[in-house]
Amino acid sequence: MISFFRALKFAFQSFYRNIWLSAATILIMVLTLLSISLVGTINIIGDQAIKSVKEKVDLSVYFYPEVSETEIKAIESRLETLSSVKDVRYIPKDQALEEFKAKHVNDPVIQETLEILKDNPLGGTLIIQSKNLEQYNDILNVLNDPNYTEQIYEKDIEDYQTIINRLNNITDRIYEIALVLSLVFVVVAILVIFNTIRITIYTHREEIGIMRLVGATNWFIRGPFILESVLYAVISTGLSLGILYPLLKIISPQVTNFFEGYNLDLVTYFSDRFLEIFALQIIIALLLAVISSMIAIGRHLRV
Amino acid sequence: MIRFKNVSKIYKPNTAALKNVNLRIKPGEFVSIVGQSGTGKTTLARLIIAEENVSKGSIIVGGWDITNIKQAEIPTLRRQIGVVFQDFKLLKKKTVYENVAFALEVAGAEPVKIRNIVPQALKIVNLEDKLDRFPNELSGGQQQRVVIARALVHRPKIIIADEPTGNLDSINVQEIIDLLLKINKFGTTVVLVTHNHDIVNALRKRVITLDQGQIISDQEEGKYLL
Repeated sequence: MISFFRALKFAFQSFYRNIWLSAATILIMVLTLLSISLVGTINIIGDQAIKSVKEKVDLSVYFYPEVSETEIKAIESRLETLSSVKDVRYIPKDQALEEFKAKHVNDPVIQETLEILKDNPLGGTLIIQSKNLEQYNDILNVLNDPNYTEQIYEKDIEDYQTIINRLNNITDRIYEIALVLSLVFVVVAILVIFNTIRITIYTHREEIGIMRLVGATNWFIRGPFILESVLYAVISTGLSLGILYPLLKIISPQVTNFFEGYNLDLVTYFSDRFLEIFALQIIIALLLAVISSMIAIGRHLRV
Repeated sequence: MIRFKNVSKIYKPNTAALKNVNLRIKPGEFVSIVGQSGTGKTTLARLIIAEENVSKGSIIVGGWDITNIKQAEIPTLRRQIGVVFQDFKLLKKKTVYENVAFALEVAGAEPVKIRNIVPQALKIVNLEDKLDRFPNELSGGQQQRVVIARALVHRPKIIIADEPTGNLDSINVQEIIDLLLKINKFGTTVVLVTHNHDIVNALRKRVITLDQGQIISDQEEGKYLL
């Protein structure tokens, strides 16, 4: 335990005595962590946006006005037995009319036309949601049953696939750029930490020689250098999180606006998963720091 | 205490520093290893502290065969052997006290033990009044005494002194030799590597003479031959 505290003391001393070197190393580590966080954030935004769009996709089946509720309900029951169907909702013709009126309340032509027509021109509607996008074709196949041709007036699936593809393209592209950027930062961080520890070893070469001479164990000699890199990792993670939170606060409203109605709040997401994000960042930072310092120690510290 | 059995040390590609050396140093002995530059004196010292590995033969120190010593065991060996070099090897930014305490700190000694032993070791070398001085405020002889105090804190069974007087004037030389004799009187085995004729001749102790990596003479009360 005493040896640990002494190694820690040496690590802190080295950190302060080479403060500019330490600052540069930490800066690079913070940039690396931030770019990795950016990759994560883009992933979250992309996934959430696509998920929200997918949830909005549904298949509307409009029936002729003369088709009775019993007949529609029979079809509804059949659809509900399909494994691909998540939810089926029946909208009676009266409700459909109300909704139609409400939707076109500002369109005087439609309002007038509805006034002229005394009978309800609309039929009942079934709104179907499938478990995933690919399965809408299965549902459509069932509805294409020749028995239904006289009942079903129209089947309408909104072309969400194009929106999803476009979203996928955008997020994939940003994700790729951020990923490459992160990899570049990871490599730069490893090189910088490696170099910092190498310089520290070089400046302490006399001390290391004497340590060996008077019987210091290998781990006592290596310890301060490893602890110094752990110190970089801890400080970098703290700074990175300290920067990330206000940054998300700034960009979150823009993201929320952009994906309006998709219930995407980055700040809440960050706050809810603070511990996970912290753990992930510190693990990445520690891995980066310890691996590169071990390489430097292995190559430049003969004990 | 120290035993060399047919020890050879060959540096790559083909330079033999020691050739087939057989040697036995008893506990409590004071032995001078002499010879001209490049005859393998320092190599012999470095082999004892496992700073180098033998190419052939075996070395036993205090009953411990260190021929194929593991890396992890070297610190234990070094705590049993005090080492004094010509170039002092003191940390310039540490005081006399801190330099001596450093040897105990790196070995994981308790602070209480450090506070007890360091002043004792500095008293043996007559530097108890210079605890707070820095190495560059001391004479060469005083610096070498700090090194000896540092070598003593582990209460070693053996002291290896490789040209400890090489950088000192004649008055300081005598001080250091007297100190080594004093330590030897406490029962510590002293191996003095030197090429100083006057010291060796005045000591009237065992002298082993090396020439071109081989022992050419081993006398109980020897003189400098070459």
